[in-house]
Parts: sequence; structure tokens; C-alpha cells
Amino acid sequence: MNSCLLLLVLLGSPAPAAEGVRVEIVIPQLDARPYHRPYVAIWLETTERKGVHTLAVWHEQDEWLKDMRQWWRKLGRSKEPPYDAVSGATRKPGSYRVLWNGLDAEGRPLPAGEYYLNVEAAREEGGRDFLRQKVVLGGDKPQHYTLTGRGEIGEVHIEIDGGK
Amino acid sequence: MNVTIIRVLILSSLIPAVSGALAHDRYIVPTHTVLSGESSQSVSVISSISNDVFHPDRPFGDNGKGAVPPSLKGYFARLQSVVINPDGSVSKDFDWQAFSRLSVGDLKLESSGTYRISVIHPEFPMTTFQKADGSRGRVFGPDATLPEGATDVVRRTTASRVETFVTLNEPNRAAMKPTGKGLELGGKGHPNDLFVNETGDFQLFYDGKPLDQSAEIVVVRSGTRHRNERKAMELKTDEQGGFQLSFTEAGFYLFQAALTLPGKPESGIDKHHYSLFVTLEVFPE
Repeated sequence: MNSCLLLLVLLGSPAPAAEGVRVEIVIPQLDARPYHRPYVAIWLETTERKGVHTLAVWHEQDEWLKDMRQWWRKLGRSKEPPYDAVSGATRKPGSYRVLWNGLDAEGRPLPAGEYYLNVEAAREEGGRDFLRQKVVLGGDKPQHYTLTGRGEIGEVHIEIDGGK
Repeated sequence: MNVTIIRVLILSSLIPAVSGALAHDRYIVPTHTVLSGESSQSVSVISSISNDVFHPDRPFGDNGKGAVPPSLKGYFARLQSVVINPDGSVSKDFDWQAFSRLSVGDLKLESSGTYRISVIHPEFPMTTFQKADGSRGRVFGPDATLPEGATDVVRRTTASRVETFVTLNEPNRAAMKPTGKGLELGGKGHPNDLFVNETGDFQLFYDGKPLDQSAEIVVVRSGTRHRNERKAMELKTDEQGGFQLSFTEAGFYLFQAALTLPGKPESGIDKHHYSLFVTLEVFPE
């Protein structure tokens, strides 16, 4: 009974975007001494730039979360940080893949439509990088984007399955 | 929305445009304006009277233990140091200590939200005049004794607020609520959420109410000492005190607003001057 109700609710809302999203991010090897691993955040915003959902946060101490300035104001600083499930330790230089199933922190699919996918990195005694790509969730075509950071982030590949 | 930027000028003059004839710039600069963390955090704060933006020249405020130049003792005695906490409560025990070129203070942020740190100079009389030899003079206090032969005597009062805002975790608005004294900054925008290439809507309040006339605003980015042009942004509010702020460069900015109101007939005061200095931090996109 309950699952019937849920199904009806889902059918009644805009086409759900439950789908495969892969973000591959390169943390470049930098000739910096001392080298600190960057703090990294990956998140979605509406086209009006309102924070929607955090895909990943790599950090060590809360005190420096604010240095990912855009992520911090859009999602990080809210009273109930909804990113516990996607937070993890900082990564050493290399290539990493972040997978996302299109569901928000409460397991609901995001409404289909256009979003900004954002990637931000901040490194202690280093720089800051911020990349943004408009993407379509819940669309019927697969998408692939390649972005290049200016130093703290290397190449970023975004793949979205589409074909709901 | 009736908020408009009336005009933006780049001033090459080194003279501060707002109430420059009457007073020096004053400011409070916090080490941080945006902080994160589950435990309490701290900011250290510098204050100074200086016309070079954020390069200190003279101290501003003291707890009785610092080095206060004799010429500033009377002025410091009138200053009130106030912190408004994120729940709107007011702390009056903020402790400044004067050094030869600046004053310093420390604030512990125990709870999440926005704090306002203020040094307030309540309304105080000042009489300006021209001396017999043609030079300008001024005397402070209610019972001003003027030199013989003084002309062009103008009886004024001056009041100022020198402020900044800092936020731990999520910003809130309780500390932004006008206290009802002098010129204050309000509006929909938040002073701890300023980023390059975004526009914030703000409003000036006088005695707790939106302005009912236009006022002058000057905004100057830090580092005037190391550039040849002051590059002040000069704007005017609309008739309700509304204005927009947008920035093309990140950094600390000194926001100054000034308002002059005529004295009431037979009050013995010709002009009331109100000024507001707010330090703002703008982050890159």
C-alpha cells in the first residue's frame, strides 16, 4: 500500500532524474613544499545558483571547510549539513571517480531539468580552483563534458547517462 | 524594486569625499569574516583612525591599559564598544587595547551566526569657525569657548558608528537589525555573503527607520597606500536609503556613508552629522 502511494507521488512529480552520473577528477601533482592535499567539493546548483545537493566533500578539519567558499555558502554552512554521507578524507594527487545515482540526501530523485555541476578545490598554502558546467538531469541524451582547472584541479570529465 | 545605483564615479582625489572636512576615516578590520567549525572560533580585530584604507595610523579605542595619545583621551572616553551576538543580545565588555598606531581586540565566537562588532561615538557637539587670521578652527563640547574674532561659526554635532560583521557557520540577521541609533546598514543583502560579480541589495537606516532621503556612500578597496589612485566608488542611495553593491575585485573594502540633517529651530545646533563606516570582505567568484 505504502509503496503504491510512493509510486503515485513519483509519477505525479516531474520526471525523476535517477540516473548514472560519473565525475572523474584529476588532482594534479604539484611541485609545492610543503604540499597539503586540497579540500575538494562537488555539488549541484539550480540555474539560479541555489545549492541543491553535495556529491562529494573531501576534507580534514571543519575549520577549513569555509575555504571552499562557493560550496560553503551554497550548501556547507547550513545548520544541518546534508553531506555527512558523501564526505571523506582528502585525496593525494591522482585520478578519482565520483559516482552519483541522481538521488538527494533523503533518497529522492531530483526533478529533471538543467543544473550547474560545480567543482571547487582549495589547498592550504596553495590556490583555489572553481569550475562549473551546466548539465541536464533526467534528459534523454547521454552527455559528456571535459573541464580543465587552472592549477588545483586537473581535467574533470562529467558523464551523464541520460536515456531515462 | 526601487533600488538604483544613481552613479558610480572613480575619484582620483586623495580627499575622502564623505564628511572629509570633518573627520578622518576610522575602521575595524577582522582577521576573518567567514568561519566554519563545530567548536567555537576566534577572530582578532584591528581598529584605527587612518585615511589610508586598512593601513593603520592612530589607535581607535582603549581599555585603560594601552598607549593613548593625550589628544585622543577625551575622544576615546566617549566611545562605546559593543558586540551584537547572533541571538541579538548585546555584549558591552569587548576589550580594545591601544598601541601607538592601532588598537587590537579579540572576539570568541561561541555560537553559529552573525556577529556585529561596533565602536560607537554618540552624538557630541562640535563648533567650527574661522579665526581672525583666516585659518579654520574647531572646538568640541557643549560649552565651546570661541577665540575672539571668530566668524562663520557653525554649531554641529557629530555621531559615528564604526562596524564590521563576522559569521560562524550559517549567517543570520539578528545582529543586522537596526539598533535605532544613528546610521546603520540593513537590507536584503548580507555583509558576510559578498562575492565578485554578484549584486547585493542594501539599505541605510537612520534611528532605526529606512532613510527618507538620499545619502552619499563611498566604498574604497584596501591598499590605498600602495596605489596612486584611491579608486573610490561613489554612490548615492535612493530616497529610501536603498542601494546596490557589486564588486569586480575581491578584497577588504571600507564602506562609508554620511548624512547631514539640519538642527531643529532654536535647538542651538545648526547641523547634525551622522557617519557610518563598515568593513566588508568580498571573495572571488
